[in-house]
Amino acid sequence: MSVRKNINDNNRRIKKLKLSMIFGYTIIIILITLFISAMTIRKTDTVLKSKVSEMTSELNVQMKMNINSYLSKMETTGTLIFASEEVYTYDATDENIDKYEMLNTEKIISDTLFNLCIMENFVDFGIVYSNNHIVGKISNGTTELFGDNLYKDLSSAINRQRTHDGWATGYNNNFKRIYYVKRVNENAILVTSFYTTELEDVFEHPDGMGDMTIRLAEENNVIIYSSEEDETGKMLLDVISDRISGNLSGTLMDDEYLVTVNTCGDNWKVISSVPTEIILKEKNEVQLYIIIVGIITVIIAVSLSVMLSLKISDPVNNMVNVLDEKAHIDLLTGILNKRSFEEYTENAIKSAGESDKYALILLDVDNFKGVNDTLGHEYGDKVLANIGNILRSVFRREDFLGRIGGDEFCVFLNLTSVSEDECISFAKKKCEQLCSAFHNNYTGDDGTYKISASVGIAFYKVHADTFSELYKCADKALYNSKRKGKDTYTIYTEVLK
Amino acid sequence: MKSKIFLIPLLCLSMLCSGCGDNAVITSQTQQTEISLSWWGNDTRNEYTIEAVKRFEKLHPEIKVICKYSEWSGYQARSNVQMVSNTEADVMQINYAWIQQYSPDGYGYYDISTLSDYIDLSNFSEEELSFGMQNGRLNAVPIALNTQSLYINKTVYEQYGLDIPKTWEDIFNASRVMKGEVYPLAMTAKSAWFYITAYAEQRVGKQFMTMDGRLNFSAQDIQIMLEFYCRLINEKVMPQVEYFDRLLIDTGEYAGSVAWLSDASNYCNNAVQNGYEFVVADYPVNETARTGDGWYAKPATMYAISKNTDYPEESALLLDFLLNSPEMAELQGVEKGIPISRKARSYLEENNMLTGMQYNAFLKMNEYSDRLAVVSPYFENTDLIDAFKEACNAVLYNKSDSKEKSVELYNTFNDILS
Repeated sequence: MSVRKNINDNNRRIKKLKLSMIFGYTIIIILITLFISAMTIRKTDTVLKSKVSEMTSELNVQMKMNINSYLSKMETTGTLIFASEEVYTYDATDENIDKYEMLNTEKIISDTLFNLCIMENFVDFGIVYSNNHIVGKISNGTTELFGDNLYKDLSSAINRQRTHDGWATGYNNNFKRIYYVKRVNENAILVTSFYTTELEDVFEHPDGMGDMTIRLAEENNVIIYSSEEDETGKMLLDVISDRISGNLSGTLMDDEYLVTVNTCGDNWKVISSVPTEIILKEKNEVQLYIIIVGIITVIIAVSLSVMLSLKISDPVNNMVNVLDEKAHIDLLTGILNKRSFEEYTENAIKSAGESDKYALILLDVDNFKGVNDTLGHEYGDKVLANIGNILRSVFRREDFLGRIGGDEFCVFLNLTSVSEDECISFAKKKCEQLCSAFHNNYTGDDGTYKISASVGIAFYKVHADTFSELYKCADKALYNSKRKGKDTYTIYTEVLK
Repeated sequence: MKSKIFLIPLLCLSMLCSGCGDNAVITSQTQQTEISLSWWGNDTRNEYTIEAVKRFEKLHPEIKVICKYSEWSGYQARSNVQMVSNTEADVMQINYAWIQQYSPDGYGYYDISTLSDYIDLSNFSEEELSFGMQNGRLNAVPIALNTQSLYINKTVYEQYGLDIPKTWEDIFNASRVMKGEVYPLAMTAKSAWFYITAYAEQRVGKQFMTMDGRLNFSAQDIQIMLEFYCRLINEKVMPQVEYFDRLLIDTGEYAGSVAWLSDASNYCNNAVQNGYEFVVADYPVNETARTGDGWYAKPATMYAISKNTDYPEESALLLDFLLNSPEMAELQGVEKGIPISRKARSYLEENNMLTGMQYNAFLKMNEYSDRLAVVSPYFENTDLIDAFKEACNAVLYNKSDSKEKSVELYNTFNDILS
């Protein structure tokens, strides 16, 4: 008991405070980490979406340039027929031309056409006259497809007034070929075509964009070509067309799709799309990385806080303990000062149970004034300090020891572990040991001053229930000891007799 | 020391947060070997070959095949430009005659026999491979054997009370019966070239040219050819080759045709679907000739590998796929004729794909195979055919007489073949 108990209480309080601090700190760190992680994820999300949109948009522009370049190459090759006057002035519908001359002219035209188209994969490269007569290469597939309407229906593909040409596909829902038609003269059109499958090379895109669907669609959203084969010839899905509606060029990204559109020659549209969830698959990986970093940060921060807390709290603990001791202890004797003694004793009495037993011992040093007068105050202080040692040697840890006046001391004796019958004898024995210790220390034989102690004892519950009452009883008993001639002890019971 | 230990987690954290330093970001793209494949053909062939290439690329994702295709006329010219300019495709469908033309010493094409680790040549007999041998080097592998065949619309002939023609005169008789309502025959310039030559060879009893490309016919013999063509046109046996329209076979307006065995399905199937019955007729004869005399057979088409290819192994893999794979056999069927490759033919047999006009024409060719001569590689020279066509028109339109023109043509032929 005594000071150590108080320090332990303080340590418990500090420990509790320390745990609260660590807990609080952990919560703060977690909250901050959560906040930072959420912000980072949000930012990553935004940056990722923005970058993917940008890249997709650039890719789509590249695709548009590719298709424009491809179509332009086909147009240019076709336009080269105008390098030969014989080719563009010949009219196979003119009945006045000699048959033999006709055959020879058509042979020349045919050779010219073949020479122009030999290096490209043209399916058709020929001139169709208004009587459906053909010179050059018009495939059976095309003649079967258009039949008697070969000239008429292909002519309708001419939609550019300046250059008198145009592109067409999807005739009778057949999207196998893409046709370029250019007027040669009032009775003739140049018809060239290539397989739609040729666009696979035109729209070839990097491996990493494998999830993206790339389409070439007409102005009315009929798909001419799609990297998803089964889409060709169908209408653009509403989920895509709604997103590009009214846009000639642009990129849109929402929770469902990233769609980018660019308009190329003949008002056809290059449309790339990819479901957002596929793009955000990448984000989820980044998110996981951020969460892992967050968890590691929390673990490291909490570990550091525990370590730092320990590092800081140990000296604080010690300092608090020292301060605590200084506040409660009489510096001269090393035992409780008056205020603390009274406080601890009153607390002990207040919290005492039925079985708790205590005794209050009051001790007054006999003739102490003479010591000070004769040997000086310095010696007197040494004597008092030594009395602290005597008290500590006589009493136990569970007993409170206090200095309550200049040469007055008090002991709150804990008798709880002592049986009821032995309490008085135990207290007497302690008082005898105390007096005896004074005799042993201050016999006066060695020239020092002889000092003794007068002691009064009162028992809790037996003589009083409160500290003040108990003190009065013990004081009366002490007075009795003084009166009996000092250097003795008296139990309050004896005073009552 | 203790305090330094505390720095380790801090350091780890800061590295983690900063992305562990300046790590380079490496993104790899599939590195593909790019080879090219060229062929000639019609829509059907183009479509199934493009599909076959897709399947090949799936099997070999490390190889990208660039397709170059055209119809026959354009292809021949393109091929010539490419061969001369060393820009030919890595794998080429070639004509039998081109081996002699582009590889007289055997070094014009890659020696495929050196790639036998990649191409299973055991599917071909030595005799079959000999078509592609030049100077001891295997320049090309034949896909199928081919010959010009006669396809007769039996339904139309029967409508006019006619039997299937057997002699040359039967055709003229058919024309008289049909009275210009229907042409008994129709054909392209190339087929007419074979058809008329067969007639002339039976008449004069000798071959048009020798195997090494020397003209065997005299001006008088050539006059027979010119006059025969003009007679065919004038007596409305067939339309002028310039006006040949294959789709008129479908409607019965042409009651017969001469075409390659490999074109049998292409020529007849639509008409058959329209309810007409087609038969492969015997090769026509005169009074003295035997069936098959004057007619030729040759490898339908062949595959060769460019002598300049940077990727012979990849090219060989593609070639093996085209010749021997079940995938290609399934897609190609008998479009190029009955495949020579045993593996491809077995696939077709197992899957009951050896049927139809193509197969019937093949059987007819086999029936007379001992009489069919191997065509000289020079015989199909386009310049010969163009010159003949031009001369025919001159005679036909009375711009010149046949005797005069045949002498002129004789000289032209010699010039071309020299």
